[in-house]
Amino acid sequence: MDENKVILKISNLSKTFEDKKGNVVRAVDNVSFDVYDNEFLVLLGPGQCGKTVMLNVIAGLLEPDDGEVRLDGEAVNGHSPKIGMVLQKTALMPWKTVIENTEIGPKWKGVSKKERREKAESYIKLVGLSGFEKSYPAQLSGGMKQRVGIARAYTNDPEILIMDEPFGALDAQTRYAMEEEVARIWQQEKRTVIFVTNNIEEACYLGDRIILFSERPATIKEIYVNDLPRPRDMISEEFMKLRTKISDNTDLAI
Amino acid sequence: MVRTDKNGQKGEFKKTTPKDIVYFILPFVSIGFLLLLWYRVSSITSLFPGMVQTYERFLLLLEKPIMRVPFYGHILASLKRVVIALLAAIVVGIAFGTLIGWNKKCDSFFGTVFNFIRPIPPLAWIPLITITFGIGEFPKILIVFIGAVIPIVLNTRAGLLSVEQIYLDVGQLFDANRWQMLWEVAMPCATPAIVAGIKTATSAAWMVVLAAEMLGAKSGVGFLVTRGMDANDMPLVLVAMITIGVIGALLGVITSLIERLICPWMRIK
Ligand SMILES: Nc1ncnc2c1ncn2[C@@H]1O[C@H](COP(=O)(O)OP(=O)(O)O)[C@@H](O)[C@H]1O
Ligand SMILES: [Mg+2]
Repeated sequence: MDENKVILKISNLSKTFEDKKGNVVRAVDNVSFDVYDNEFLVLLGPGQCGKTVMLNVIAGLLEPDDGEVRLDGEAVNGHSPKIGMVLQKTALMPWKTVIENTEIGPKWKGVSKKERREKAESYIKLVGLSGFEKSYPAQLSGGMKQRVGIARAYTNDPEILIMDEPFGALDAQTRYAMEEEVARIWQQEKRTVIFVTNNIEEACYLGDRIILFSERPATIKEIYVNDLPRPRDMISEEFMKLRTKISDNTDLAI
Repeated sequence: MVRTDKNGQKGEFKKTTPKDIVYFILPFVSIGFLLLLWYRVSSITSLFPGMVQTYERFLLLLEKPIMRVPFYGHILASLKRVVIALLAAIVVGIAFGTLIGWNKKCDSFFGTVFNFIRPIPPLAWIPLITITFGIGEFPKILIVFIGAVIPIVLNTRAGLLSVEQIYLDVGQLFDANRWQMLWEVAMPCATPAIVAGIKTATSAAWMVVLAAEMLGAKSGVGFLVTRGMDANDMPLVLVAMITIGVIGALLGVITSLIERLICPWMRIK
């Protein structure tokens, strides 16, 4: 694997909003970074710092005020089919069952029912939801919904998968289980992942590299390379060392 | 799965509480009061038909047709007009509501005219429709259609305008084309609103058909009301009114059942 092949290049990204009172809110300020092919990149930053805004710009859901996103050297304009996303607010369609939600990517591309069902089925199994195919989202717990969101994104086969605080709303127990699962899926199905979190431990557990962001407006504070062997041991000395190093550099509460 | 309810009780099923019994009994109490009121009023003045008298008129009506149409024939005549008008209103209303709810240009093109026509009560159209189409079946159905189509258009438009951005984002993330965005994302989002519009339209249609029949028809439950009035046959008026109430309530039940069929996901919680 060529570690340093840049797949996604983010240059000088800025985005501001106007709030209801007419004040200008700067959410992202002149952010540049590279994403390498097949890496697990973690973006770590405090709540409300502008992470979701940044991801929405990268995914093409929002227009940046300034800067550009290049995918494989080409400027991205609007949403690129090569980029998939697990949304912070899972946003499953309440009128579709688990399997129908999972298969929307291939379905909308016109893949035959048999083929897309098979694929959706395999990812539902991968996230441990076999047997819930016919359930509606309202019948699932928060963690299960989030897993459907992950299966939905994987079933669409994106080259780059963006995950926006997918475990933010989960209890600690489920969260650990899901982190393990995501690390396992990533090792099984190598592809580029951009994973956003505000949790340092989660960042250290998952990331090949960790980009630490400041408070709003989001600017890059530091980039950490994490080459601890996987699966990682959260109570090993090296893990603790990395974790402390990062938390010393932030005012994040963990 | 074991659930814990509000009162901290664990268990799979709900116990019948005294409250449930109260909720079950209350409707019967209110019907009882209504009957009592009817009894009191009819015993004060002999012009107001009593229950027995009304019941006897009902039995007579079952035997003796009016205008050679049996009782159930009058009900079917009204229902037929409602069903035809409603089906047309559903098709046209959803299509037009979608057009103006999904396309800003169409909305601003048709919006003003629609807002001008909307407050005109369907019955106000009767003179114009009568001089244009005469007094056959079609003009009656057209009047009912006007009453039914407006709530469907309004709700379809409102439903589409209030689709949450996050679902449109999902549509974009998974590369839905414009058509898929409408049919697979926006329309399902708007479905509960559209179905609510159809429910409103159904009760509106039922009211309008009766009024239209009262103004000029040879069949239908509304015609029975006019006939009773003209013949000073008040028991017949009451039989017709009760029929109207019962069928209206049944239509409400049927539309609720259809709603559950169309939106199965709404049944959960
Ligand atoms: N559409 C918007 N309009 C106005 N302000 C916005 C909008 N989207 C985000 N913001 C503001 O940008 C800031 C960053 O938000 P966000 O990216 O969601 O933070 P987080 O890092 O928690 O994901 C917040 O203060 C939020 O209020
Ligand atoms: Mg966020």
